[in-house]
Amino acid sequence: MKKRKMLGAALVATLFAANGAMAEELSIVCSNEQDWCDLMTSAFTEKTGIDVSMVRKSTGETLAQVRAEAGNPKIDVWWGGTGDPHLIAASEGLTQPSGVDTSELLGWAQKMADISGGRTIGIHLGVLGVAYNDEVLKEKGITPPACWKDLADPMYKGEIQVANPNSSGTAYTELATLVQVFGEDEAFKLLREIGKNVNQYTKSGSAPSKAAARGETGISIGFQHDMVKLAKKGFPLKIVSPCEGTGYEVGGVSIISGTKNLDAAKKFVEFALSAEAQSLGPQVGVYNVPSNKNATLPPEAPDPSTIKLIDYDFATYGSTETRERLLKRWDEEVKDAGN
Amino acid sequence: MGEKPKKGSVVFEDVVKRYGEVTALKKLSLSIEPGELVTLLGPSGCGKTTTLRLIAGLESATEGRILIGGEDVTHLSATYRKVSMVFQSYALFPHMSVLENVAYGLTVSGIPREKAHAKAEEGLEMVGLKGFGQRLPSELSGGQQQRVAVARAIVLEPEVLLLDEPLSNLDAKLRRRVREEIRQIQQDLGLTTVYVTHDQEEAMAVSDRIIVMRNAEIAQAGTPHDLYERPNSAFIADFIGDANLADCEVIAAGEGETKLNLGGREITLPLGAATTGPARLVLRPNDLALTSEPGPLAFPATVSYVAYLGNQIQYTVQSEFGEIFVISPPVAQPFGVGDQVFVEIDPQKALLVPDEPVGK
Amino acid sequence: MKRIIFQWIAVGLAGFCLLPWYMVDGGFWAFDWIADPASPENAPALLQILLHGRWWLAGALLALLAAALVQLLVKSPVRAARLTAAIAALALGWTMLQGLVIVRQGPRILQDLFAGTAAEQGQIGFGAGAAVTLLGLLFVLTTAISGMGKGRGDAFVTGMIGLIVSLVGVFVFYPVAHILISAFQTSVGAFEPGLFIPRFFSSEIWGIGCLVGQGSCGPAINSLMLAIATGVGTTALGLAFALIFTRTNFVAKPLLRVLSVIPIITPPFVIGLALILLFGRAGAATALFSDLFGIEKSRWLYSFWGIYIAQLLSFTPIAFLVLIGVVEGVSPSMEEASQTLNANRWQTFRHVSLPLMRPGLAAAFLLGFVESLADFGNPLVLGGNFNVLSTEIYFSIVGAVANPARAATLAIVLLVLTLGAFLAQRRWVGTKSYATVTGKADSGAHVALSRGVKWACYLTALPWAAFTAIVYSMIIFGSFVKLWGYDNSFTLEHYIRAFGMKLKNGALKLTGVAWDSYFTTLEIASIAAPLTALVGLATAYLLVRQNFRGKDVFEFSTMLSFAIPGTVIGVSYVLAFNFPPIELTGTALILIIVFVFRNMPVGVRGGIAAMSQLDKSLDEASITLGANSFTTVRRVIAPLMGPAMVAALTYSFVRAITSVSAVIFLYTARHNMATTFIVGRVENGDYGLAIAYSAVLIVTMLAVILATQFLLGRRRLRRENRIEPVAAGRA
Repeated sequence: MKKRKMLGAALVATLFAANGAMAEELSIVCSNEQDWCDLMTSAFTEKTGIDVSMVRKSTGETLAQVRAEAGNPKIDVWWGGTGDPHLIAASEGLTQPSGVDTSELLGWAQKMADISGGRTIGIHLGVLGVAYNDEVLKEKGITPPACWKDLADPMYKGEIQVANPNSSGTAYTELATLVQVFGEDEAFKLLREIGKNVNQYTKSGSAPSKAAARGETGISIGFQHDMVKLAKKGFPLKIVSPCEGTGYEVGGVSIISGTKNLDAAKKFVEFALSAEAQSLGPQVGVYNVPSNKNATLPPEAPDPSTIKLIDYDFATYGSTETRERLLKRWDEEVKDAGN
Repeated sequence: MGEKPKKGSVVFEDVVKRYGEVTALKKLSLSIEPGELVTLLGPSGCGKTTTLRLIAGLESATEGRILIGGEDVTHLSATYRKVSMVFQSYALFPHMSVLENVAYGLTVSGIPREKAHAKAEEGLEMVGLKGFGQRLPSELSGGQQQRVAVARAIVLEPEVLLLDEPLSNLDAKLRRRVREEIRQIQQDLGLTTVYVTHDQEEAMAVSDRIIVMRNAEIAQAGTPHDLYERPNSAFIADFIGDANLADCEVIAAGEGETKLNLGGREITLPLGAATTGPARLVLRPNDLALTSEPGPLAFPATVSYVAYLGNQIQYTVQSEFGEIFVISPPVAQPFGVGDQVFVEIDPQKALLVPDEPVGK
Repeated sequence: MKRIIFQWIAVGLAGFCLLPWYMVDGGFWAFDWIADPASPENAPALLQILLHGRWWLAGALLALLAAALVQLLVKSPVRAARLTAAIAALALGWTMLQGLVIVRQGPRILQDLFAGTAAEQGQIGFGAGAAVTLLGLLFVLTTAISGMGKGRGDAFVTGMIGLIVSLVGVFVFYPVAHILISAFQTSVGAFEPGLFIPRFFSSEIWGIGCLVGQGSCGPAINSLMLAIATGVGTTALGLAFALIFTRTNFVAKPLLRVLSVIPIITPPFVIGLALILLFGRAGAATALFSDLFGIEKSRWLYSFWGIYIAQLLSFTPIAFLVLIGVVEGVSPSMEEASQTLNANRWQTFRHVSLPLMRPGLAAAFLLGFVESLADFGNPLVLGGNFNVLSTEIYFSIVGAVANPARAATLAIVLLVLTLGAFLAQRRWVGTKSYATVTGKADSGAHVALSRGVKWACYLTALPWAAFTAIVYSMIIFGSFVKLWGYDNSFTLEHYIRAFGMKLKNGALKLTGVAWDSYFTTLEIASIAAPLTALVGLATAYLLVRQNFRGKDVFEFSTMLSFAIPGTVIGVSYVLAFNFPPIELTGTALILIIVFVFRNMPVGVRGGIAAMSQLDKSLDEASITLGANSFTTVRRVIAPLMGPAMVAALTYSFVRAITSVSAVIFLYTARHNMATTFIVGRVENGDYGLAIAYSAVLIVTMLAVILATQFLLGRRRLRRENRIEPVAAGRA
């Protein structure tokens, strides 16, 4: 029996060994690149003296976790990642207005705050683009595309890769962009035609560009900052901003409803919006467009002034209603068109 | 072994054991006296092993009570019963040395290692395996393994020793020796012992008493002599010592004299019978004689098989009441196959049992 | 019996009167609570009742006292046991109920009843006091049940059953119910069971278009085909490896062993990436074949075949680990018996050895099947347009459109498939006896394989081993070059970034970015592994050796957590354990628990296979010799289960290190895990670092496995495991 008790004691011990409550530090989920997350954390702690525990998770995972934890959140701030999930969280009341000054920000960033009632604020811009693998296209002797419409050309058969908008926010941005550029019916017609050339609808939004970088596919659709990063690593990837105009996503920062560290959370949001913090990106190979007017724009970043950007309607295309309708139509008309 | 182990009685009161739909024991009641060696004998599936496992506590009774040494152990787990068991497979722990095996029961009950090992050595000596302690069980012969298993069980000085077909893995010669040894040890220690076997010869040789089981119940219990001389059924007669079972018909039942029809001939035997009608005559092979002369109790037959074994001659003959097996002492001129002979019944030795299927 | 009950009553009372009932700030072991032991946060239950008006906690106390009284006063032991059991069960139920009803925000139901009491202030999660009290009550209950004659009156057995049932209930059923319930809910959370049937039988899930040549199949059909193929494939390969190990004198066994085990210790995504670099459209092998034979470069890898190859690579080791113990355990004397009956080696193998391995084969198949169903990393990387349940579930939860109802429905589909496989396996193994390690010691030699079988084994296993070797050389190569596949110049940069260290002022400073997660991962895995093995083998023991009502359900429930994809488990853990009564999110503990209960089925399966080879008379002998069940397990069964134990230990250790999907929602900055770190890098396109880290992990795990093997791996059944000499000399 003595041994039994020891067993029991050991069990209890392990049960409680690590059962500690949260210490007084700011808990941040970062949906940007790991290096950038690390850099921001240390810069923030250096500046404010506030301890941060930061963890990197993708936007989808973060949204799922924030939903599951609603009422007793373990996360204080959610920084980075595409704006859509931030807007969804805002509309579900999972995040709270931060009340931080946005006057230094560019219009699109303020607009995001307006739409969400101040719950999420734009921190950077990611432009949608098309990338192609120079070597693969040369080997096959096909010319690179310049416009969305080019992608429907049969010479690209089996060469285009793009994500599935049901699982990827990137692909949904593409879908919404085409709808805004061409009008809904025309856009779906184009998507069906492009679909004939698509070799795979990936689950993840960044996968197509990675495949294009390695030559697993010739052409990919995705965000340009992902493509720039891959090209910088040495892959033969060339980036195209479609001639008809292209859409973009706005990365957000939000404070989770019910945070126990509201003051520190606000400080972080202020810091994340400052020119100082937003100029840090290029140090770790992040090349998207910062939202603070005074931040330095990295030379590698897609320059918004040279790209034909559409006036992306986040209010309409971010709404659940429109989203569900477009996705349903995509499932019915596009999904199996190519195969 | 300093003092003698405490003697223990075993009592079953209306014990029933069911596995789901299957009844393994039907209302079994039995009583085993302290110091007695009782054999549970019967064909496989008769419930003898279940009975043994119930005593050990490896099965729990569905109904009824089990008492060991007067104490109700029906709900007591096997660990706490003062019962040791020798398994058919010996169940020696393959990862322990012989000495560790024998000392196991002692060490787990808290006896210090050294003392336990000393006692285990004694036990090994008792079964004649002194000096084998450091070997692994796999390095012993079958007979040696068997003796280790016995030593392991008796060093615990149990109230009751259980043996489950302990000799079935041994060769015939060894079997006789080991069973004598077991009987010797049992009597030296005065151990209450329950012995399960399906071998009637083994049972006859070692037992104070035999309980013959059949179809989940007791068919007959008694001393070997009782069972041999006074079987209460064709089954017992056949199972205990070989017997020819000749179909006959009782014409007139009586106390000391019974008239019956055997092979179309009316004969009178000094037997008791309760009812008239079909019955079976038990004819032990040794109690029959083959002659070349007819007589009132000598029936004609033809020799179909002869086996000369030196100390005896075995005949199989075809008679009017079926095939009969006869053992006769060696003679200079044995009969040969095809000879016409007469089978002579010894009226004092013949027995009458009810007519029922022998089915095992 | 009485003594044991009193002991547990004392344990329960100690928990109730001495330890803080609720979770305390800073953790129990910080002992901050000792400074202020009577505060509403830190007080033990007794003081909570007396000082803070939390009367509803009194149930446990009353029950413990009542149980003590019953034990003292009621004469008939069976009656006393019955009463005690009832009291303890009632108190357990009550204590759980109050925890579920009165949460942080106060009572969830019956607010009027609680109006004006302390209940309105709510309460936080259970702490040490509650846990110890509940444990005490549980064992009072199980001991009392044994007193009623159940479990052959063995308190250890009933206690174990009670403990494992409770643990599985709390850490598998309770959380999983949280998420599966959404299959029966509308999108706004209203309960509507009628929705389930159309959702479940939707042709979108069960479509068989690919079989009839029209379009694609639903994920259920895809998953099913893949799982069957993987189960069969891994079992065959695992058997081939196991036979080569135990029945041949193959020269390079150690090397083969390493190769056959390496895939199991590979972090997710790595195999997929390596396959892409080899066989992708731009892969090395593809380029080679294209140059040599003019085979057109294609994307064939991104399909069923790609996932299948990756899964075979990943899961063969599991089959191997399960089967080697089983193959080794087949008694040589049975094989010798067969040979003396004039069977040749092939007949012996076919009619004796192989059938005796049946439980092992079944276990290996089931594991391969279930692993394949739940596999997430490989389909994600290689899936192409081949959709399987696990990825569909993941994206139903985290995708652009979250659809918990669909996720739950798919999870149920997955469970149904698992249940089917489980039942089929049960039927196939049947109730025959496969005991081959009997108490009758045997010293024979294993029969060597027939020529045909031997060559079949060589021809399956060796090319496969070579293939594995190539894949892994690619991985190692990748960690030493600048840009895998494009810039193949040598560099140590990745290792330095991940595991750099500097000597500063005589002290070693770890500057690499991976150290943190590396140590956390090792720590958590080393705590989780022995616990997993313990729970797994204990369960196996109960399943094989004990008979109790509801055993089938019990057995299946232990498979549950394994069959459900990690993502579902992860989310369900957050849903269940983020709120009182059990608050665990954000701790390392939740990671340990999720590993223990997710990986325990491997311990169970391996344990069952190994234990069915141990003759029951060994345990019985021990028990009749006066050992209790615990001693029997410790001194007889455990030593004979060496290989199964090693398999369970190494596997759970490795799984804790390599699993990713379950921890995605559970890891925190303080407890960052290696795999999530690696996945983050892969996401980032930072392959060099990810692969360097993987390589270090692989080496670490290999070292741990070899050490475990060395320490625990040998069973002493015979002096040596001999193989019938075929050629001169032994390997």
